[in-house]
Amino acid sequence: MADKTLKRHKRRLDLIATIMLVVLLLAALHIMSGAVQRSEALDAWFIPLLVFTVSGLVILVGLVGWNLWTLLQDYRRQAAGARLNLRLVVLFVVLALAPVSVVYIYSLQFLSKGIDGWFDVQVDSAMDDALALSKVSLDLHKREMLRLTRNLLATLEVPEQGGPLNVGSVREAAGAFEVSVFTREGKVLGLSHQNPEVLTPSPPTAHMIKVVRAGKDFVSLVPLKDGQMVVRLMVVDPSGRDLVMQAIFPVPEQLSALTRRVQAAYEAYRERAYLRGSIKFSFALTLSLVMMLGLFAAAWAAFYTSRLLVRPIKNIAEATRLVAVGHYDVRVPLPRVQDELAFLVDSFNQMTRRLAQAHNVAEASRRELAAQHQYLETVLGAISSGVMALDEGGVVRTANPATEAILQVPPADIEGRNLRELAQIDGTLVPFVERMLEALASGQQEGKIEIRLQRDDRRQVLLCQYSRLQLHEGENGGHVLVFDDVTELVQAQRDAAWGEVARRLAHEIKNPLTPIQLAAERLRRKYLKQMSPQQADVLERATKTIVQQVEALKTMVNEFSDYARPCRMEPRPLMFDDFVAEVLDLYDGAGHGVQFTPGAPDAVVEGDPVRLRQVLHNLVKNAQEASDGQAAVQIATRGVERNGRRWVELRVEDEGSGFDSAIIDQVFEPYVTSKHKGTGLGLAIVKRIIGEHGGSIRADNRPEGGARVSILLPMRLAGAGESPAVLSSESKMRGSKS
Amino acid sequence: MALLLLCGPSLPAALEFSQVTITLGEDDRIYLDAQIRYELTPAVSEALENGVPLTFVTRVQMRDTEAWIWQPDAAEHRLHSVLRYRPLSGVYEVRNLESRDKQVFATREAALRYMGRIRDFAIIERSQLDLDREYLVRLETFLDIEALPLPLRPRAYLSAEWHLAAEAWEWRIRP
Repeated sequence: MADKTLKRHKRRLDLIATIMLVVLLLAALHIMSGAVQRSEALDAWFIPLLVFTVSGLVILVGLVGWNLWTLLQDYRRQAAGARLNLRLVVLFVVLALAPVSVVYIYSLQFLSKGIDGWFDVQVDSAMDDALALSKVSLDLHKREMLRLTRNLLATLEVPEQGGPLNVGSVREAAGAFEVSVFTREGKVLGLSHQNPEVLTPSPPTAHMIKVVRAGKDFVSLVPLKDGQMVVRLMVVDPSGRDLVMQAIFPVPEQLSALTRRVQAAYEAYRERAYLRGSIKFSFALTLSLVMMLGLFAAAWAAFYTSRLLVRPIKNIAEATRLVAVGHYDVRVPLPRVQDELAFLVDSFNQMTRRLAQAHNVAEASRRELAAQHQYLETVLGAISSGVMALDEGGVVRTANPATEAILQVPPADIEGRNLRELAQIDGTLVPFVERMLEALASGQQEGKIEIRLQRDDRRQVLLCQYSRLQLHEGENGGHVLVFDDVTELVQAQRDAAWGEVARRLAHEIKNPLTPIQLAAERLRRKYLKQMSPQQADVLERATKTIVQQVEALKTMVNEFSDYARPCRMEPRPLMFDDFVAEVLDLYDGAGHGVQFTPGAPDAVVEGDPVRLRQVLHNLVKNAQEASDGQAAVQIATRGVERNGRRWVELRVEDEGSGFDSAIIDQVFEPYVTSKHKGTGLGLAIVKRIIGEHGGSIRADNRPEGGARVSILLPMRLAGAGESPAVLSSESKMRGSKS
Repeated sequence: MALLLLCGPSLPAALEFSQVTITLGEDDRIYLDAQIRYELTPAVSEALENGVPLTFVTRVQMRDTEAWIWQPDAAEHRLHSVLRYRPLSGVYEVRNLESRDKQVFATREAALRYMGRIRDFAIIERSQLDLDREYLVRLETFLDIEALPLPLRPRAYLSAEWHLAAEAWEWRIRP
């Protein structure tokens, strides 16, 4: 603000200074013009004024030059308003130059012709004639005086006895001012002057003496100090006497006055004629200075005016540029004069104000939208269900992070692609793609389908819901797919159902078993002795069978009870390799036994040692039964990385016949077994315990023959909780006690 | 431009001091006798023949050699002589503006010779000087352009032919 005020003051000072300079120059030129017109008072000021005017003009030219240079610089760097400014300046200067040039050229011609008019040929001739006439008149008078003087000298009688000559009467008779007679050597013989006080003759000049000595007569017109003219003569005696007479005659007053006037007029005219060129030059110089002053003042005024006119437009242009790059709060200062430019500036300011308001509203809306979008993304990111939005062409527009967790494909790889391309990214997703496309193509508004995927190591069950998005008035906005990985949920439901079955079986079957067993034993005790040996043998076998089958039923019921028993985990950190080695120590020396290869020395898992021990026993027992004691069971551990986490893998391999391919997908479900004996709950219990530890289990057949069960248990994060070494030793103690 | 006008070049040896004598008179005054040779350039001669009066200025300055620049001169005189041609009578007129004396000469040479002669010009009384100090006597003579008719002045300032000036004559004396 202060800067703008300072600039405004500076501009005003510049304007005042320049106007003062122009006024001073005009005044100087006016005075010069007076001086040129032969004003005596201003005569002495001519040259200083000329110097002042030229200096002022130089300053003015410098100002105009500076303005021009600045304007050209602005034009070169294409500053706002520079082109318009230049056009206006050129226009103003041309408009000023044209009339000024015309006036200047015609004035010069007029001046030149006017001055030449003073010196007309006829006037020249008349002046020369007048001078010649004057000369002739004077020459006539001189010749007359010469003749008279010669006569006077010729008739002058010189006394023989010598003595001064009396020339008084001669002088008076001739009407001369002075008559004096000399010898050739200069001896004065006589003198008569009209002023009796003059006692010496007027001394002849050297030139006169020289002429006389040459034997010639001298005659000349001599102006006196008072302007009067006299004829001065010096003649030699024509009769050969050694006499020289000097006479001074007055020129008749009328002739003298006329001659003086003619001479004055002729001298003035001749001087002026000689100065004709200089007068023209002076007038032309003054006129040129006036013209240049006018021209450069007009040029400066053109710069000033064009700047004044262009400034609001320049401000608007700069402001427009700022608005174009997003600065909507820019305001253009209003011009002082309330004209159309002020109206334009005011309208521009109103426009920018409204633009700023609109931009603020749009910005607020954008922020709100972004916040909503962010919120939606956060919500979508927070939910565990996979969400995909498809456009009407089936192209995935957005997918939330859970999509990756469920489909194993990053959202970035999905977004922008058609849903069909998912099958190309991951072949296991083919059922998902086909079922979904089929469902979407059915035209239903919404629906729900369950899709089973066969992943490399597991089966995945997805529960998918789809809805058609309706935009304005029935416009199809695509579909939204929401899908959940319900594999564990389904498994859990199945496990729960089996648990309930087991619990009911245990409850319903176990209760009558004991009375049956007791009743069978009482029958045996009561009737065995009363029967014949043959009948007793039958009874004996029958009751024995009953007791044995009841025991078998009890065993089965107990296993059901174990399976159905609610989980009570007591997890602790375990050095997994040590723990496995400790459990497998029990199998040393039992047939072919167990061969353990530890491969995860630093792996620590958070687990319940009792239940994990049960897992190991069940797996080893299964493997030994499958191998039929013919080969050692191979057990190995190793650390692996899956899905960004560290796991410890336990593999139990045998060399038996392997899993039946018909049931290999269901080996971990209850009552699924290929053995003649057994309840089919062993692997189901193992899977349940592993699941309770956050791990996974997989069963497959080895290529070289035999079955393989792989367990993945999550490793404990390093540095968390108690020392695993100590707890491992505790678990050893506990294990040894059990 | 101003510098050019005021300091225009002059033709060499157009004017010169051919003889200068400074003497102490019996009346205890310091007298100057000098002879200045005037030679007119063609342009100046043409102006003279066309009736333009020419004013020549002879400046006589006497100054303490150790005086500061702002101290006045011990003595300073300007002698103005106007030379003019009278076409009707065909004579050259020399007028001394100080003494109002006017002399008429039939030839230009006689008029210039007369004009260049300075006889028994009293510069200053010796008593007005500090006898222990040294003084510089300086003589200058030049054609006064400012005395020319006004229309002739701009051209005279710009033309070398009009810059008639003698090289300054200087002499140190100890009265």
